[in-house]
Amino acid sequence: MKGHASWLAFIRQYGPVPRNDNMYDETIQRSARRLGLLPIVFEHPTQTEIINCFNQSTTDPVSVILTGTAGDGKTHLCRQVWKALKGDDMAWASDNPYLTIQFHYPKDKRKWPDSEEHDLYRPIKIHFIRDLSGWAPQQGADWDSDKEELLQKFSRSLFDGESDEIFLIAANDGQLVESWRRLKETEDVKKARQVFEDLLVEDRQHQAGVRLKFFNLSRTSSADLFDRALDAFLNHPGWDEVKSEVPAENELFGPKCPIRHNYELLQTRLVRSRLRSLLELCDHNGLHVPIRQILLLLTNSVLGHPDVKDHLMLPADVPKIISAGTVSKASLYNNIFGGNLSEIRRQSITIFDYLERFQIGFETSNRVDNILIFGQNDENLGCHFNEFVANDPFYGADNRYYAAKREYIEGTEENDAKSAEFLQMLVSQRRGLFFKIPKESENELNLWELTVFKFAGEYLDSVVDVLKSGGTVKRPVLSQLVKGLNRVFTGMLINSDRELYLATSGNYSQAKVSRILVERISVEPSKGEKVVLRFDESNGQVLLSIFFAPDMFVDFNLTLIRYEFLSRIALEGALPASFSKECYEDVLALKSQLIATFMNRQSKEIAPIATTICLNLLSLTERGMPEQRSVEVVP
Amino acid sequence: MTTNSQILAPPESSDNSSSMWVDEAIWGQRLYDEQTPWFVFLEFLNVFFHELQKNRAFHEIHGFNTLKYRAAHRLYLRNILFNNPHLVEIRMSCPNDDTRWDAWLKQMKSSAGIAQAQFSYLKNHFHSFEDFCEIVALVRSTSFEVNSNKRWTSKFVFPYGRDCLYEDLDNNATTNDRRFFGRTGELLYLMFCRTKHSQELLAALNDRFSKLDATWNNILKCFQPKDDEQGGGDRANAFLPYPNHPCFDELAEDWLAILRLKIPGFDVFPHLVNLTGLHLMKYQLVVSRQILNSSLPLNLVCEVVAPRKTLVREISCDLYQENNLLPAQAVEAYISNIEHSEEWQRALTENGAFEKCQRIMRDKVRWGDDYEGPNDPEQLLITFRQAALKRHRSNQGANIHRNYGREIGLVSRRGTIKLRYAPTDALLKTLLFANVEKRIELNQFLSKLYNRYGLVFGDREAEQVLAKDEFDKKAFQANSRRLEQRLGSVGLLRRLSDGCAYVINPYHADLK
Repeated sequence: MKGHASWLAFIRQYGPVPRNDNMYDETIQRSARRLGLLPIVFEHPTQTEIINCFNQSTTDPVSVILTGTAGDGKTHLCRQVWKALKGDDMAWASDNPYLTIQFHYPKDKRKWPDSEEHDLYRPIKIHFIRDLSGWAPQQGADWDSDKEELLQKFSRSLFDGESDEIFLIAANDGQLVESWRRLKETEDVKKARQVFEDLLVEDRQHQAGVRLKFFNLSRTSSADLFDRALDAFLNHPGWDEVKSEVPAENELFGPKCPIRHNYELLQTRLVRSRLRSLLELCDHNGLHVPIRQILLLLTNSVLGHPDVKDHLMLPADVPKIISAGTVSKASLYNNIFGGNLSEIRRQSITIFDYLERFQIGFETSNRVDNILIFGQNDENLGCHFNEFVANDPFYGADNRYYAAKREYIEGTEENDAKSAEFLQMLVSQRRGLFFKIPKESENELNLWELTVFKFAGEYLDSVVDVLKSGGTVKRPVLSQLVKGLNRVFTGMLINSDRELYLATSGNYSQAKVSRILVERISVEPSKGEKVVLRFDESNGQVLLSIFFAPDMFVDFNLTLIRYEFLSRIALEGALPASFSKECYEDVLALKSQLIATFMNRQSKEIAPIATTICLNLLSLTERGMPEQRSVEVVP
Repeated sequence: MTTNSQILAPPESSDNSSSMWVDEAIWGQRLYDEQTPWFVFLEFLNVFFHELQKNRAFHEIHGFNTLKYRAAHRLYLRNILFNNPHLVEIRMSCPNDDTRWDAWLKQMKSSAGIAQAQFSYLKNHFHSFEDFCEIVALVRSTSFEVNSNKRWTSKFVFPYGRDCLYEDLDNNATTNDRRFFGRTGELLYLMFCRTKHSQELLAALNDRFSKLDATWNNILKCFQPKDDEQGGGDRANAFLPYPNHPCFDELAEDWLAILRLKIPGFDVFPHLVNLTGLHLMKYQLVVSRQILNSSLPLNLVCEVVAPRKTLVREISCDLYQENNLLPAQAVEAYISNIEHSEEWQRALTENGAFEKCQRIMRDKVRWGDDYEGPNDPEQLLITFRQAALKRHRSNQGANIHRNYGREIGLVSRRGTIKLRYAPTDALLKTLLFANVEKRIELNQFLSKLYNRYGLVFGDREAEQVLAKDEFDKKAFQANSRRLEQRLGSVGLLRRLSDGCAYVINPYHADLK
């Protein structure tokens, strides 16, 4: 195979092929060696921290568990630790999922000595279980006694400060707890399992008194991983070889080659930043994208085409596609969403499942569709049509598009098949627009209306970025959220945004309409009360914090979806059915929590013995402002 | 019948409302499908508070099936809330407070069911007629059946406390005609008397009621004159045939689990009501199977609603149909048992067979006085079978499975025309709160739901339950994935990575 051919064949293995060899660190290493290529590598954001658990940065090492979902880089990180400890390459290359190594740490657990003097060190045996699931018995089978003994030893060592053996274990989180459930129930096993569960569910790295550091790689920012993976992917020397050829017009990396165009598009700042935004928004919806899925996305974006084998192009496909006139079907914009794959295949792949939730291509606005359908010779829209559609020789309007458009507009006969084809083209064009509309036109063209999250742009620009850079979110944004909360809390379309209205219905804390006012919380700081947006550095979450007193507050994880929900309620009053229920429940749960906190604050006040029962009832003025009416009952 | 060797004899004199004793003998006096689970709960509270006051809650001190209690009528309260159509009109049309009160008090003089109704005590409790109207509107907004076309005497105020409890009454507001309080609440009470957890449950209920916010109960007290002692006569004749039953214990366990959670105040009630409906429905099916001598466990295959028709939905529809037939089959089996009894068979061979058989009928099922057919035992039996099935279908518990199933959100037609088991989020929440202490893995949760209720969601349970040719692993895996998403969407599930999710009970007492 020629150099460029083997490179493309190699990266193809990262893509959505039936047997993608590059799913596993072990197999990547092997096939890269075979082809004489370097795998796509970059430093994992937690790599230094993990290696520092074992090298000279530590004097008193403890066991480490690397957990996360498939493709998060667990095995890769294990190998980095192995290398850092000068482990034998050959031993690692063996298939044995269990290895050990000895390393010397200072006897004085406070600092490394200046001298190499043997007596000053103690040997510690480090057990590597680099793949717990490959090592543990199959479901239903029994443990080998030595393996069981090893995990018992590990469980004991977690609670024993004097142990001279530590462990590095890589395991999918589900398998971790599952394996421990299958061990013989000793006290230590039970305790260990409880620790794992607590750490996993409560998202923590360690627990006091337990000699363990716990890294859940599924908590790494997908956007951060994307930046690293994209650089490693684009700058890989494999491309240099491809670029160095001087191809004919219709060949690989020639001027008409879609692979080349996709590769170049991926390098543009706009495509890159939009794609990154999508991953960042996934993070803010609690959806983690593992490295393997990011590499799959990148490969599919560049090589995808629906008409070729496995829907991924090889060098030999390029001339055929060009002569068949189907270059537009290789559109990067469409490939990003797995549009080159069959529906069933697409739905089975995590990253495409996540990206599908944005509904890019299916969501639209009148303005966007007017540009795409009627914009061609329109005096107002024409410039946009030219900029985004006509002037894109690859994925813009080709002859197929113009013909289908004409048919669609002027077609007299009802021809479902043809209009379906055009509607499919519109999907691709809308996807294209999402990556073509420049930042400065975002608002004018309502970019984010191309997604289900109309407020995603505002969320990123006015909330996430502002908070990350240490700024304060502007008042109108906060007001909008408060208004949304008030509308859910009271079940009335109230317009108030200066105070948060906590109200109940009398019986249920979660009733739909709540007219009995419990308390109003000032949004502006006042007597310890305030409502603010904050950024939690530890997990990258945006928090809406409601303060009852300086040391008494409730945090609400303001995910993208919740932000969208509250903003839409505030601005439109109506709820989009698709995700409203989930958020509605979340917001009502928040109200319960707030009322409980208020009661807690109140319990510290000594109430005078009341002679009357007093209720504050809320109603709405014509302008939607809350009106409060006090009603007394004399028992 | 393994666990219930003993079946209690019917009371000496039953009330006249029962023209035969079949459904009652099988399930009790009685499971009544027009009494919604909420009304069961309300009737239960009436019994419970009466017995609590007499210091004998959950004790049948005079022996099995001797419950006798009285319930309040609270006609002042009910006239104000539910038989008071001119309130708003008077508020609008009269110019000032005095004229409003005057007009309204005059209007209310003819209030139903109260001799010389006098509502002027209200003026002592409210500063103005407007305030009074506001409070009435608020109380009505949390009441039951306010906007339904039920008679005003069958509308109920939310059970904020004991001063809000009363019994259902006939159109003249004079007596309980058993239209909507059909004794199912009394049955529920008897079940709690006969569970091994009765004392624990009593303590838990007392604890919960003592901590409820009394504001609204106090407000509703103001709606009633101090001396409103009017109440109904003794209510007796509730009958539950089993001295104990695993169903009673399981019901009590679930109530206990809910009562121990840190769910605020009245928010526990809907969960208790859902569980009551679920367990009564299950009790009916389980007992039916016992009568039918079926040793198979009860299976309720649940579809987590999918956008398209799925195999799970088909199986669920079929099983629903099958289960729906069980009570009628039990009635038939009960009758065949009589037919095949030694006594009946002997009577057939003796002289005066017809008279003897008729006597057996009278003794066993209290039926036959009105029989006018030919003097032939076989004909007698045929006529009786028809009458019993007709009665079962018409006004007894034939529709418990469907009605309670729908009321609690287990049975639904969503997305299709056929009924099947497709639990709502609200019911899933109830089940989760009752069965998860702090958190458990999703698979363990599913297995618990199967073991305790026969509810089947995932592939592991389905495999145990279904025949090989019916079982489709993928379909059930997809079903449990949908369940996972639903639980996640209401914030009760924490997904870790592939194959690992925890179901979380946020109200568990240990959690912050």
